[in-house]
Amino acid sequence: MVITKIAIIALYTTAAMFVGILFMGIGRKIVARVHNRVGPPVYQGFIDIAKLLTKKTNISHGWIYDLALLFSITGIILTILFLPIGGVKLLSMEGDAFLVLYLLAIPALGFALGAGASGNPNAAIGVMRALVMMLSYELPFVVTLIALMIYYDTSSIAQIVEMQRARWAIMIPPFVLAAAVADMALQGMLMEAPFDIPIAPHEIASGPMAEFGGKHLGTLMIYKAGTIVAYTTLFVDLFLGGGVVMYDGSLLAHIANFAVWFVLIFIVFTLSLLINTSFPRFRIEQAFKFYWKYEALLAFISLIWVYLVVIS
Amino acid sequence: MLEFIFAALLIAAFVTLFIKSGRIAAIISLIASVMPLVAIMGWANEFGIKTISFGIENSMNFSIAGITMHLSITSFAWFFAVMIFSLLPPIFLFSYSFFEKNNGFFPFMLFLVTAVFGILLARDFLTLFFFWELMAASSFILVYIGRDKKAIMSYLAFSILSAVLILTGIALLYSQNNSLLFSEVVFNSDIVTVAALVLMIAGFAVKSALMPLHAWAPFVYSKADEPFVAFLSGGVSKVGYYGMFFVLFALPGAKILQQYFNSNIATYLLAVVGAISAFIGTLLAFMEDDLRKLLAYSSIAQLGYIAVGFGIGSSLAIAGALFQAFNHAFFKSVLFLAAGAVAYRTGKWKISELGGVGYKMPFTFMAALFAIFALAAIPITSGFAAKWLLYEAAVSNKYIFITPIMLIAGVGAFLYSFRVLYGVFLGENRHDDIKEAPLPMVAGMFMLVMPLIIFLIFPGYMLDMMHSALVNAGIGTISHTDYVIRTGMASYNTLAVVIGMMVSMIPAFLIYVLRKQKKVDFKDNFLAGEPYEFYGYISMHAANNFYKPIEDVIMPYLRRGALSFYTALYNIMGRISNALRKIYTGLSQDYTIYIIIFFFIIVGWLIW
Amino acid sequence: MKYEDWNKISRIASRKSLWVLHFCTGCGAIELPPVMTSRYDMERFGMGPMATPRQADVLLITGYLTVKTLKRVVNVYEQMQSPKYVISFGSCPINGGMYWDSYNTVKRLDRYLPVDVYVGGCMPRPEGVMNAFLKLMELIDEGKARGWEKYQKYYEQYKRNQKMAFNFGGEENEGA
Repeated sequence: MVITKIAIIALYTTAAMFVGILFMGIGRKIVARVHNRVGPPVYQGFIDIAKLLTKKTNISHGWIYDLALLFSITGIILTILFLPIGGVKLLSMEGDAFLVLYLLAIPALGFALGAGASGNPNAAIGVMRALVMMLSYELPFVVTLIALMIYYDTSSIAQIVEMQRARWAIMIPPFVLAAAVADMALQGMLMEAPFDIPIAPHEIASGPMAEFGGKHLGTLMIYKAGTIVAYTTLFVDLFLGGGVVMYDGSLLAHIANFAVWFVLIFIVFTLSLLINTSFPRFRIEQAFKFYWKYEALLAFISLIWVYLVVIS
Repeated sequence: MLEFIFAALLIAAFVTLFIKSGRIAAIISLIASVMPLVAIMGWANEFGIKTISFGIENSMNFSIAGITMHLSITSFAWFFAVMIFSLLPPIFLFSYSFFEKNNGFFPFMLFLVTAVFGILLARDFLTLFFFWELMAASSFILVYIGRDKKAIMSYLAFSILSAVLILTGIALLYSQNNSLLFSEVVFNSDIVTVAALVLMIAGFAVKSALMPLHAWAPFVYSKADEPFVAFLSGGVSKVGYYGMFFVLFALPGAKILQQYFNSNIATYLLAVVGAISAFIGTLLAFMEDDLRKLLAYSSIAQLGYIAVGFGIGSSLAIAGALFQAFNHAFFKSVLFLAAGAVAYRTGKWKISELGGVGYKMPFTFMAALFAIFALAAIPITSGFAAKWLLYEAAVSNKYIFITPIMLIAGVGAFLYSFRVLYGVFLGENRHDDIKEAPLPMVAGMFMLVMPLIIFLIFPGYMLDMMHSALVNAGIGTISHTDYVIRTGMASYNTLAVVIGMMVSMIPAFLIYVLRKQKKVDFKDNFLAGEPYEFYGYISMHAANNFYKPIEDVIMPYLRRGALSFYTALYNIMGRISNALRKIYTGLSQDYTIYIIIFFFIIVGWLIW
Repeated sequence: MKYEDWNKISRIASRKSLWVLHFCTGCGAIELPPVMTSRYDMERFGMGPMATPRQADVLLITGYLTVKTLKRVVNVYEQMQSPKYVISFGSCPINGGMYWDSYNTVKRLDRYLPVDVYVGGCMPRPEGVMNAFLKLMELIDEGKARGWEKYQKYYEQYKRNQKMAFNFGGEENEGA
């Protein structure tokens, strides 16, 4: 019993990482089609990572710099372990939404340490902008998260997915507003334009990745693939029912749930890509004001709406 | 038993008054401070796990001039005592190398320790106030050693304020009950009792640097000696929270306030004040350039969480608050000691002048790194369990405004933590000639980091320690095992996190080991092809005005704060006093006229 | 898996995802944006621009090089991680081109940096640039694009040439 559980967990985590790397390639293809050109093949993400990991020389700036490598993959795999994917609760009964929120910060911290240890001033400025952006998008996001928690009276993501069996959360009126706010926050989390401020190639020489090459950059790409899956899965689990359509636990149910989950995160990711291709980049203070003035206002409106619904 | 401990501490204090060498004084203080800790640990079986009421049967009594003081231990005092006294041996170990000459640090620290011990053990209000004043006096002298005018004046003013508030509260309670013993205080919910409770809470809140009574903290923390500041922010602020816990939950203060106002409004206000402290403290912290002022604001912020926990009042919230108090004591002390070690070696305080210290002082860097992990509540340290309990409590009580503010303050902790890490320890190495801090300093810091690691895996042990404190105060308990905490809404399994982390590290480790790498010098960096040595004045340390974009947006809203209020008050009082001073003109004619006028006023008053 | 097979996989991965350093020197930089954007799309081969030499595989010398720029380009080339390739555009790196009698430009790039593919023209059109990329991919596939190994093997000779170029005017031009 334990062996099958561990096998399922390993299988789903590996599948999630594969889906993430696949999405990186699919993303480039979609952007290329919007630009009216052909674009790379959809398996391009795998080739990029293979090329980076098979480079013949790799440089390093010390042991603190290598911490970035260790923390990033550890953090993102640990986060995926605590999210329900396609209805399979991997380890998510052992932790809740607050744990996931803080686990998402471990790889960011690792990269901050690595970028700081590389000594490049561009990297430090990039990390500063990344942290300020994290502060900005967290406010509307946690407000919508609290709205969900108050409505469903639980803080565990697996419970929220369970409770959306009858109706997806997005079909309840106050949560339409909350989902829109969370989608904008997702844009910041995925670091897609207009919020790709920290990794801007032309302004600060790609920010924290300025001194990363070879295997360090390869792990950064694996981390990016993991974040795509983690953030979109978080959004789908919270608002779109987690992609669970069949509940009987059979093999067919697992396959159907996985397929529906894949389609849902593909839709969310495509939406963010389309916004990516249409907008230029913000400045960091514009992003900060956007999140803390307008988004926060909308989020608080939805929170008060939910609160009034709950106490009546 | 208690007499021996007090006697030992006082004798050590008096002895170190006359010793000039810092090293010998440090050793004496170290031995003297280990004794209370051993005694407290020895009481664990008796007081830590069982419940006990706070009568005065087996207490120790002092009688001086017909006034009796009663001292004994209770279980919640035991928890705070363990927390505060565990800080002392590492701090004295650290100060063995920090002070070469005894500039008065050691005797007054020992007086301070005695005073804190007395406060925790007090069984009646007189004892409490006496030791509170002793604590204020000895800590004032320790601040005075730092020789900074603003620090001294602000600390004096706020100490007097806290003493006056507590004394007024005690007097109001005495007027109702005619007895000063805790066990004989009878509470009826009328305006006098409520006023007394509020005044006492405010008096305790001054010492814990709760907004808006926090104005002394940035000045004092940045201008006193580091080991003292470590104890001040790690230990003394917890004494303030012990007082608040005691008033709210041991004497049934929370219930009285609830009965009087027929709702939770009073404790809710306390929670709101705590949340605002956390939020604004975090915002002010990452705009500071001085390392110690940054740590002071971060202290204000992290201490605000404890007030939130006390304000919410459920068993989860109080457990979270006590856990946060425990964590804060340790990680804040480590950070201040690390700042002291860095200053001891480099002599600099401003972040923009430091840089690259971590390459030469790796052990200090590792201790500070662990402390920062605990501060930012990364789930691989025990700091997360405390914050998790607080968040769960806030959400299950449906407090919709406090919870986002607390969460944002938690995220903001990353910002100033990174500023400290990058600005001081990483980045360009400008101090090539420094060595690692001396061994006693490093040993002291690592001893303080140990509990944070232990309780990471087993938060259940911490909850066991708190168990009797919670039960004794009439609050419920929390269902937990050694490593799983279960609340009504979710559960948190630390073993799962740790095992998951071990397993997730395998791919990263494989990649790290299987592809070889070559270390390059720091100067071989991407500067668009320019060689580093070409321009002598290139500075690659981007640490000045680090958070300028966010500072530009936020500062207009924060210009009018508590500090400007106090400065305005100070100016007004100064002007009034200046105006009053003009009576003393120094001419004997004026004094003669004053005497004649006063004589006529007295005659006129006697007639009518 | 034998060493040749591992090398083959590494070469296939390297060929299908070449990252170009966006460090454009000289007058050929204007020919790069059309190659990168919708009309002559180089991204369908997996190529893309990167910001720093630590992340890039291919260095493009797009046009003439002054001695001052050569010093920086050598720094950038040494910061890249092998396997790395150099493509040079235009006639100037081949034999001096239009500036054949100038005192300040580099006449034969091959003396200072190992070049894998030359593209003739003044400037080559985007079709020529695409041809160069495809030729580079072909050379990588056959294992003939070994510029970085040549640089390691003949390191002293390259350094001697570079030093002679940097010191051409005597002491007062030391820092140029």
